[in-house]
Amino acid sequence: MNRGNKILKVKRLKKKIGEKEILNIEQYSVIKDKFNFIIGANGSGKTTLLNILSLVDRDFEGEVYYKGKLLSKNGEYLNLRRKFSVIWQDPYLYRGDVYNNIALPLKLRKINKKEIHKNVKEIAEKIEITELLNQSVHTLSGGEKQKVSIARALITEPEVLFVDEATTSLDEDSIQFFNSHFADLVTDDMTVIMVTHDRRQMELLADRIAFLKKGRVVTSKPAKNYDFDDLGEGIRGRVEEIV
Amino acid sequence: MNYYMDAFGEAWNLIITMDQELLKVVSTSLRLSTSSTIIASLISIPAAVIISRTEFAAKKVFNVILNALLSLPTVVVGITVYSLISRRGVLGEYDMLFTLPGIIAGQVILIIPLLTALVRNTIFSIDEKMYKTAKSMGANKKQQFKLLLMEARYGIIGAVIAGFGRVLGEIGISMMLGGNIKGVTRTITTAMALETNKGRFAFALALGFILLILSFSINFIVYFLQEGEQYE
Repeated sequence: MNRGNKILKVKRLKKKIGEKEILNIEQYSVIKDKFNFIIGANGSGKTTLLNILSLVDRDFEGEVYYKGKLLSKNGEYLNLRRKFSVIWQDPYLYRGDVYNNIALPLKLRKINKKEIHKNVKEIAEKIEITELLNQSVHTLSGGEKQKVSIARALITEPEVLFVDEATTSLDEDSIQFFNSHFADLVTDDMTVIMVTHDRRQMELLADRIAFLKKGRVVTSKPAKNYDFDDLGEGIRGRVEEIV
Repeated sequence: MNYYMDAFGEAWNLIITMDQELLKVVSTSLRLSTSSTIIASLISIPAAVIISRTEFAAKKVFNVILNALLSLPTVVVGITVYSLISRRGVLGEYDMLFTLPGIIAGQVILIIPLLTALVRNTIFSIDEKMYKTAKSMGANKKQQFKLLLMEARYGIIGAVIAGFGRVLGEIGISMMLGGNIKGVTRTITTAMALETNKGRFAFALALGFILLILSFSINFIVYFLQEGEQYE
């Protein structure tokens, strides 16, 4: 496998909401099979960039490429979207029980019931939520909801996994669980694009880090070239406090 | 006083003996209300989705008009449809006046604003994250629409039942467009008005009981659906 390829790339990307410029990126690339981190202060455009890269938001100016191929803004790209999964900061779970929420992406892909059942059981065991499967989603805590959304995102074994500040609203135990289990849940041929504020996640997982400021990519380089201590003394996790 | 007590007794007797004339009136009302509600739902639900989820120039004006139409008087709808379907009207050639389709046309127009506004409000209240999540899970456009309907189902069913209740209890349209023809277009409300005037108080009272039971049942269903929405 050719590691180090660019799987996603944006060029001359601009996004405005009303008159306000949210993003203005000359070029940014996502490296295949790596943990690509996007960091920056609140309002720097991280989530907007993630929405565009994951094809959830198609209202922008500029170019998005997948494996070198320019994606038209009018295309639905259903097959490509089905290779992607997103774990959102504040996950939305659909009415009903945990089982059906985790099974939903497979149902949308018309996978047969037997296989769905097997896959849901497997992923639930890995994420340690088997006992929640028959529970209504309205009875879950914030941490449990996020675990369900992680299971739902991973059940399709996506080629590209987008993670949007998945631990921001979690308690310390849930963050510990996420940090210790996440790398094991991601397969070798999965590309991860992770928006975070958490320094521990960067130190543990990051292969490459892009730093966004006011909608622009200020730096994008391998994590090993980042001196985390330079980010500031006494910093506990939150990059926004440093910049 | 004895007159009223006797009438109560007789009304009760009509109900438990399942009087044929009474049943005919009730079944006509239920058939009309069901047909009108189904037709109005098929128009209103997609319209509400479009209004909620798309941006168009006159959206604000449209919403204001829609809200204003919620209090549309039945007799105004009645006279408007009458002018269209009566012999001299533009749809006069279809002979719809004093027929069930004539009443249905009026009732559909009456509840379209109500259904559309209630479903629109339900869809407005759905979190924007629902749409993003559906897209990110790989749902195609049809699946996204189905997921939206599933998430809004309690609100939509509540709206449909509210529309059904509205047409079941209306009298203006049924009277003006149906003509209160015995065994054909006579509904619960038009029969109640007529039979009271004729002095068949017990018959009107029996219909009143049935209408009340139906209205309470509808309200209970709406209430429990809303409860279900909170606790599911």
